[in-house]
Amino acid sequence: MAIAALKRFATEYGHDDAGEPQTGAKRAEKIAIIGSGAAGLTAAHDLAKMGYGVTAFEREAAPGGALRAFIPEYRLPGEVLQRDIERIVALGVEIKTNNELGKDFTLSELKKGGYSAVVLALGLPLSRGLNIAGVELDGVLLALPFLREAKLGGGKTISGKRVIVIGGGNVAVDVARSAVRLGAGEVHMTCLEARHEMPAFAWEIETALEEGVRLHCSKGPKSILSKDTKVAGLECMEVKAVFDEEGRFNPTFYEEKVSGIDGDVVIIAIGQAVDLSFLRDTAIKLDRRGQLVFDRDTLATSEEGIFACGEVISGPGTAVGAMASGRQAALAVDCYLRGEQMAAPQPDDRMDVGELLATTTSEIKRLEKQEMPTLPLEERLGNFDQIELGYAEILAVKEAQRCLRCGAGAEYLEDKCSVCLTCVRICPYGAPIVTRAGSIDIRADQCQSCGICIGECPARAITFRRREDNQIGERIEAAVTEASLSGAEPVVIGLCCSYGAFATSAFTKFFRDNYKPGIRIVKIPCVIKIDTSHLLKVFELGADGVFVVGCIEEDCPYQMSTFWAERRVAAVKKNLDEIGLGGDRLEMYTLSNPTVQKLDEIVTEVTTQVRRLAPSPMRNRRGEA
Amino acid sequence: MIVVQQKPLDRIRQMIADYDRILILGCGTCATVSFAGGEKDVQALASILHMADKTRAGRKQFMEHTVKRQCEWEFLDEIEPMAKEVDTILSLGCGIGVQAIAERFPDVPVLPGLDTSFMGMPQEQGMWSEMCAACGNCILDLTAGICPIARCSKSLLNGPCGGSHDGKCEVSPDLPCAWQLIIERLTKLGRLHELEELMPPKDWSTSAAGGVRRIVRSDLRITSQDATPEGHERN
Repeated sequence: MAIAALKRFATEYGHDDAGEPQTGAKRAEKIAIIGSGAAGLTAAHDLAKMGYGVTAFEREAAPGGALRAFIPEYRLPGEVLQRDIERIVALGVEIKTNNELGKDFTLSELKKGGYSAVVLALGLPLSRGLNIAGVELDGVLLALPFLREAKLGGGKTISGKRVIVIGGGNVAVDVARSAVRLGAGEVHMTCLEARHEMPAFAWEIETALEEGVRLHCSKGPKSILSKDTKVAGLECMEVKAVFDEEGRFNPTFYEEKVSGIDGDVVIIAIGQAVDLSFLRDTAIKLDRRGQLVFDRDTLATSEEGIFACGEVISGPGTAVGAMASGRQAALAVDCYLRGEQMAAPQPDDRMDVGELLATTTSEIKRLEKQEMPTLPLEERLGNFDQIELGYAEILAVKEAQRCLRCGAGAEYLEDKCSVCLTCVRICPYGAPIVTRAGSIDIRADQCQSCGICIGECPARAITFRRREDNQIGERIEAAVTEASLSGAEPVVIGLCCSYGAFATSAFTKFFRDNYKPGIRIVKIPCVIKIDTSHLLKVFELGADGVFVVGCIEEDCPYQMSTFWAERRVAAVKKNLDEIGLGGDRLEMYTLSNPTVQKLDEIVTEVTTQVRRLAPSPMRNRRGEA
Repeated sequence: MIVVQQKPLDRIRQMIADYDRILILGCGTCATVSFAGGEKDVQALASILHMADKTRAGRKQFMEHTVKRQCEWEFLDEIEPMAKEVDTILSLGCGIGVQAIAERFPDVPVLPGLDTSFMGMPQEQGMWSEMCAACGNCILDLTAGICPIARCSKSLLNGPCGGSHDGKCEVSPDLPCAWQLIIERLTKLGRLHELEELMPPKDWSTSAAGGVRRIVRSDLRITSQDATPEGHERN
């Protein structure tokens, strides 16, 4: 599933409803965060939510760290970052820009200033260089300054020039793709690793190639070639191996196998660093290599009350990794200030959901992945417009429908079971099996959470693991009560699918509770979950009419949803006829995704049909006992 | 298993007409497996009867409960408090359950919500077949594991009869001729010659025809009552 794309959709579409940011009870302590990148902002956010007073110190003119200065705009638009920062500021976090530790203030000044704890979230703001001939030439650049200038302006033009990027990580790819956008004539990437060993994400490399970047794998830079004082190209050696026998980074080369790439600009993107020498004079310990000494669990440095998080301790990684580290630091600071021991990380005792068996997958409807809409290749050059355009609502709900809800399905209650084997016989996916002990095992990893077995089990010995799925009856009851209170006649309840186009905001907004007096729509995660007792209950509670609306079979992720829903509706219609209440009070419909708004016509049709019948005798009306 | 099915709704409504407080009692074993007397069926019937009553402005109250098996004294104990509160118990168990309730609660009228159909098994989901007539003297060893007593319309011991056509019984085109099945299976097993020996007339005294049946086993009984002869006992 496209989880990242769905999360993005949730933040884009759910933003309006996110409400005002809330913080916990105010705490007296003040906390200083040094650095306002992904790690620092996350720590600041979490601590502010806990009620602490938080100040983030940022040496740059604006907050955001690498997110703002280095991550290209086509991957992370500034306005998205700005919106997140505004929400963090709204929690009460103060961000002091143009404030650099070791230059504008010191750690001891912070302590004197009343800060009870300090979190170092310094990131890795420096590019590592190379020690080869020619690095001093005009036209040799470092990755981070290049990315910064590409983003914030001020760089020299590379338009029409041949650019050679040294490095095979994600930053190198960012550099190469930025160079393409800045109008470079050719963009080459060289790296030590073979294609399959490259540390950059495979999909990033693919996209770079699509955009015209030329890849030279297993090449080690030997020297930068020159003509006069300018770059003329890169001389490379063939790589023998990148890692030694113990798996450590220790490249070896075929010194005699030398090749060259012509170019005008060389950009070195082989790693990042931070200069912590300004900490030498403090009590914070650094190791032999100049790195922070810290506790892996509490993220505490050697100095009381001073913590570290993000890439400064982890090395280069993803923004998400830095945020996780920031979150851990916030917890650590909270524990420290409360005088509590930081809970040791709990062993994850959640059970893995097992693999889907071939016998199961062969029965699951195959729903194709909804590809992320992207900017066409030809529109990417010469600008930094965001490439991934985000899901439109209907794509997001369709993608979400692909979720197999592993482990969230049917739960078997052994003491109620009469071992009738109905579940074994009717499950389209073969999830329930007979155990050697003669009972039933509904294999959670094979169950698709459709609920057919729950509706059919004669002993009511199966429930949903998800509480919400077991509350359909209560929601129906609430709907009948509300509709009755409106005083309108007739009271008609719609039991309607909540997936696919039924989940879109256009549908939901139209059919909300004040849609029509006396009418209530209850959303059900697939009408297959409506069983006969639900249908009988609605009438018993006093509804004059009921309609069930599901997706057409092609739009439904489940097997046989229409079959079971229609069969149950037919059974209850027969019951209603038998007792003289009238089967015409209940109807079933299916709508395809593009036609869900036709529900409005269905409501009119059912209401008209129900008006011809006497009001339900089940409901107490005004003036009755 | 004992296969049961719900009585027609009108008949049930007729039976409960005189009572206001009604306990609908399900049975968690055979009746559940028959989709006629499980918790789900109890719930549905209560809903339907409640609505049916309301359409005639009635004021009946329905209680719902399901026990593990209605045919065991111990499982019936739990309904004693409810039994005291109601005017009648509508049993969704087989005829055994109904009678067990009648015996356990002598002061409460009990009504059968189901018809007890036969002893059989589900051939497939939603389809049950009679397999055994409880004749009390099993001959399945002689008939390839297919019972002619229960599955031959005439209960013939030396079949088939002239009413067997294309493997079906003349009684219904859906009904396989049990003797055809017996012959086919014996042929497959290479034992068809066993049918050359005629079966003598059956002693039906062990079946229902012989009167009310009871089994007493002194090796299992723990009460020190007067010894009763072992085996089938006729009252």
